Amino acid sequence: MLSDYIAARETARSIGAPIMTYIFIVSLIIAALSVFYLTKRDEKFGKYLNRLIYIDTLLFVLGFLALIWFHLKIYQTVVIEYPEFLRYYLPVTQARFAVPLWIENEKMYFWTLCISLFTSFVSFKYGCSREKPILPFLGIMLALFGIIIFFFTNPFDHPLPIVDREISSWYAALASGHPDIIAQTSMQLYGRITYYYNSTYMWTHPPMLFIAYASLAVTFAACVLMLFNGSRELDKIAYSYAKVGYIFLTAGMLIGYPWAVEAWKDQPWWWDPKINGAIMMWLLYSAYLHTRIYIRKGRMWHTTALIGIGCFVSLIFTYLLTYLMPGIHSVVQP
Amino acid sequence: MRIRSLDYHLIIITASILFAIGFICLFGIAYYNYADAADSFWTQTVKYTDYINLMNSLVYPFLVALLVTLGICIPKRIVPDRLLVKVSIIIFAITAVLAVISGIQTSLGFILAVMMGIQTAVLLLTIKKSASVRFEFREFSAKVGSSLLHLGVVVFIFDFVNLYEQSIHIPVFWLSTLLIIGGIVMSFYPMNFKIGSYKRN
Repeated sequence: MLSDYIAARETARSIGAPIMTYIFIVSLIIAALSVFYLTKRDEKFGKYLNRLIYIDTLLFVLGFLALIWFHLKIYQTVVIEYPEFLRYYLPVTQARFAVPLWIENEKMYFWTLCISLFTSFVSFKYGCSREKPILPFLGIMLALFGIIIFFFTNPFDHPLPIVDREISSWYAALASGHPDIIAQTSMQLYGRITYYYNSTYMWTHPPMLFIAYASLAVTFAACVLMLFNGSRELDKIAYSYAKVGYIFLTAGMLIGYPWAVEAWKDQPWWWDPKINGAIMMWLLYSAYLHTRIYIRKGRMWHTTALIGIGCFVSLIFTYLLTYLMPGIHSVVQP
Repeated sequence: MRIRSLDYHLIIITASILFAIGFICLFGIAYYNYADAADSFWTQTVKYTDYINLMNSLVYPFLVALLVTLGICIPKRIVPDRLLVKVSIIIFAITAVLAVISGIQTSLGFILAVMMGIQTAVLLLTIKKSASVRFEFREFSAKVGSSLLHLGVVVFIFDFVNLYEQSIHIPVFWLSTLLIIGGIVMSFYPMNFKIGSYKRN
């Protein structure tokens, strides 16, 4: 029912809005504490920073639970009943939206949730120490992501605008009663639901990449700090998170290939900017892992740290390609 | 050249090749963007096919270079140091001759098939814990992981070079994916397996 869907959307907004406000406030405090700790090296700031990172993570988890509930409600309330006259063309009689939790304005939220979880692991394992000041650095990154989400990609501000447009278009087509409009909308929705929202690949390819991105953010933080003090401990942290990130990155990217073959068939997707960027990023991380083998040789630690930083720059670049460049992955495609 | 020094140089060369392919990808991004700005429907014209061919032709030499480093990496596990250079030269000489006679695809197919054969032998010998296979690390699962990873990479490239148009392309792709991921996991998180239990290093 359309009214149930609209009610669920409003509830998600009303639950999510205060959570996002708290995330914003906590992010500002985390940023301030991180800067204070890095400049004054007062243990008191470190202690509060540890706690606030756990609180921030908890808020992100709560927000994510609200999103899960909203997606579940979409699945339960919106049913696309394909009209009788289309049964010859479509292999199904009805469909539901199983909308993944990492699309549209929820992408960055999911990525930041993963970063906050990894930052909490770092906080739990290493704490805030003068020898390894990785936590305040991660704190600044986490705060920056939180602030960006609050202002630019708040998933509770206008929940899933494209999905909402598609659902509204379906009900509008039904209300019009015009067979041509219903047929056209049905065919469009069939493609979107089958090959995009409900696709197994959509439920595996992007989340694996976002988990990888989050893990590699920790590697980046450790590499930046390594440049300043050449600490072997920081290299170990960088490497341990690079391993997790690389496994997810490789698996996530490989899973995308059969999906592209199946969903895009004859469309021009090969050597698309996003694919170029992803391959470049993967190659750089492969180079990082190769050079790291000889990290004890001469100034190889320095080169490895620089490559680690370059990897993350390419990661951010690859992420932004969707929004900046044309191509089949792009959202700026006319 | 001592095997450790050879390893070091191979790693530097491999990293350089990876960087070079990365730069080609960066060029591809710029090219695509420029072409799209000039004509937003260019992907539906012959210009897109030209772009694909251009990118393939740019990547191919570095792919061959990567295969050359793999070609040295893979036999070094079972071929003695003094024979390694000779074996590599013979393999690449046959590859070069095949490239002239039958084209680049057949020659790449040959070198990849040889590497698959050698790497399968390395894997089996590693699993049998044969002393004739040499690694820079001691953990059994890391050795198996490295063998699986290298085999997976070779199968992956072979699949794209020689089986792209075949019906088994996707099944072979999944096989190579499993080998690569399994290999990476075992290499990154080595464990010493014992009967009925295992010990973390």
